[in-house]
Amino acid sequence: MLQCHVKGCNDPSLSFPLQLKDVELEQVETEQNDDLLANLLQKIDWNALQMTATELGLASLPETIPDDPDSDEAFMIKLHEVLMEMNITQGKMECRGCGHVYPIKDGIPNMLLAEHEI
Amino acid sequence: MRPYLVHFAQFHADFRLAEIEALARLEGVTLQYDPAQYRSDNPFMVVYLESNAAAAQLVHRAILVKEICEHWGSAETYEALFAQLKTNPERWEPYHTCSFRFEVKGFGGTLSLAEQIAIIERFSFLGFDGPIDLKNPKEQFFVYEDYGIDPTETNTTPHVIHFGRLVARSNRNIVQKFNLKKRKYLGNTSMDAELSLVMANQALARPGTVIYDPFVGTGSFLLTCAHFGALTMGSDIDGRQIRGSRTKTAGITDNVKQYGLDARVLDTLVFDICRNPWRHTPSRQPWFDAIVTDPPYGVRAGAKRLGRKTGLNPDISFRVIDGQLNHQRDDYYPPTIPYEMSEVLVDLLEFAARHLAKGGRLVYWLPTVVDEYTVEDVPLHPCLALVANSEQPFGSWSRRLITMEKVRDWEPTLSCHSPHFVPPPSQTAESPASLPALADTATGGAIYKPASGGKNALPGHFNFREKYFYARSHSPYVHAAGSTPPQRDSPPS
Repeated sequence: MLQCHVKGCNDPSLSFPLQLKDVELEQVETEQNDDLLANLLQKIDWNALQMTATELGLASLPETIPDDPDSDEAFMIKLHEVLMEMNITQGKMECRGCGHVYPIKDGIPNMLLAEHEI
Repeated sequence: MRPYLVHFAQFHADFRLAEIEALARLEGVTLQYDPAQYRSDNPFMVVYLESNAAAAQLVHRAILVKEICEHWGSAETYEALFAQLKTNPERWEPYHTCSFRFEVKGFGGTLSLAEQIAIIERFSFLGFDGPIDLKNPKEQFFVYEDYGIDPTETNTTPHVIHFGRLVARSNRNIVQKFNLKKRKYLGNTSMDAELSLVMANQALARPGTVIYDPFVGTGSFLLTCAHFGALTMGSDIDGRQIRGSRTKTAGITDNVKQYGLDARVLDTLVFDICRNPWRHTPSRQPWFDAIVTDPPYGVRAGAKRLGRKTGLNPDISFRVIDGQLNHQRDDYYPPTIPYEMSEVLVDLLEFAARHLAKGGRLVYWLPTVVDEYTVEDVPLHPCLALVANSEQPFGSWSRRLITMEKVRDWEPTLSCHSPHFVPPPSQTAESPASLPALADTATGGAIYKPASGGKNALPGHFNFREKYFYARSHSPYVHAAGSTPPQRDSPPS
């Protein structure tokens, strides 16, 4: 959902997705809601999610969305785990274009820009 | 369609119709009523619904409704009411043997227990012979005596008496759960529980939706919208509000845990909404199903955005301090400038027009100086239809809860400044699959108006902060310079 928004960082192929680095992950179990996941699937950029999950070492998502995701139970379980249960408590997000680093502290990403970036 | 009697709470009168209309849409219930019958100084209104099930569905998450009854009759005297009831004896039949209880409620007057019992006795002709059960009755019957609220009248008899059989109680008890007095983490801008919940209803918060607050503060709306099943996210330029003081509280996280909403309150982020990182891809529906927010008016929380009063000076970012580039230091905080209220609102509408999914809603508070407000002050956008505009008065100023719905896909050429013709929502709204189309109800579309006034006309909320403090310093309630005026109601944020 988040892309680099530094002024002049305009190459959409690089400004999204941000690359997660040095992250501390935490898994919090929550109840799975398939309707919700189906709704989110329509909005998600799958390639970006798949790539990010792989970079985080959560290599459990397939390269493409299955044809009938709702009835693919194993897929929905994995999706729920990656999308809803994984929290990043510490770390940073780095732009692949301009290199801006957005720090994440206590689970709160700081997306403020510096004076020369607006 | 059958008649039902809605018993509203006698609070926030300007919000009550808007709420039940939002709920009718949310629940897919067909709701009809005569707007001329609605009175803000009275809690009773007859509405028409298809069934008891529809009536129960309509009020099950209502905040400003107390209960809804099958409407059996209304009259000025008991004799006339009984005559009405006697025209439908078949209606009494199913209740002759079940357990039941009567409740007599007075509006604008109180009744002693003896008086209540005397009234209940007069209904004995109904032939309800089942056991009276005050705790867990199968059926409940309500007698409402309406004495009106004019304090100069000392009525001994009610203006109107309503009678009905209880169908369902509302969700009003939930207000206690979100009571600010019981909340762990609070700020001076936390929204009171009742209105936060009403906002979640206006926003059609429901399972499967994603709701965002761009001025999240201490996160009141994240909680109430998540309570109704939505996934919520928030952001703020000031991260200190989100985090709380490190030693005493973990900020918003504490509240999320208190209400057990960990699974649904997703994330809070720190950034300036004017320079936001949300991705917008024209080929995909935007992320947010609703935007629910209380924009900073500059009174309690000063509205800020990134910038420097004297003009941006990028060199400052690159000064070397303690061997480190300034902007890479851990405690670097970019410079900010005040953010004028009318600018905040235009930016908010532009943001919503772009980032809301079609059929999604923008629900926000507009502060107004009562003497200066005109309906033209409500900012409009060609992509957003105005659905409701409800006033909460505080004397010389008030705030209005504005509800808008996205009816048209965003295009770069459409902005708050483009000509404001928007067709009525009923003709354009394409609802998300789970919701019926926006009904052409009493207020939907009626408030619509083309923009008027020249380009240079300033809205009444322009420079709201200055006007607010000016009014206070000239208020008769302020006795001496520096003294605290009597607290009339919650001040603006």
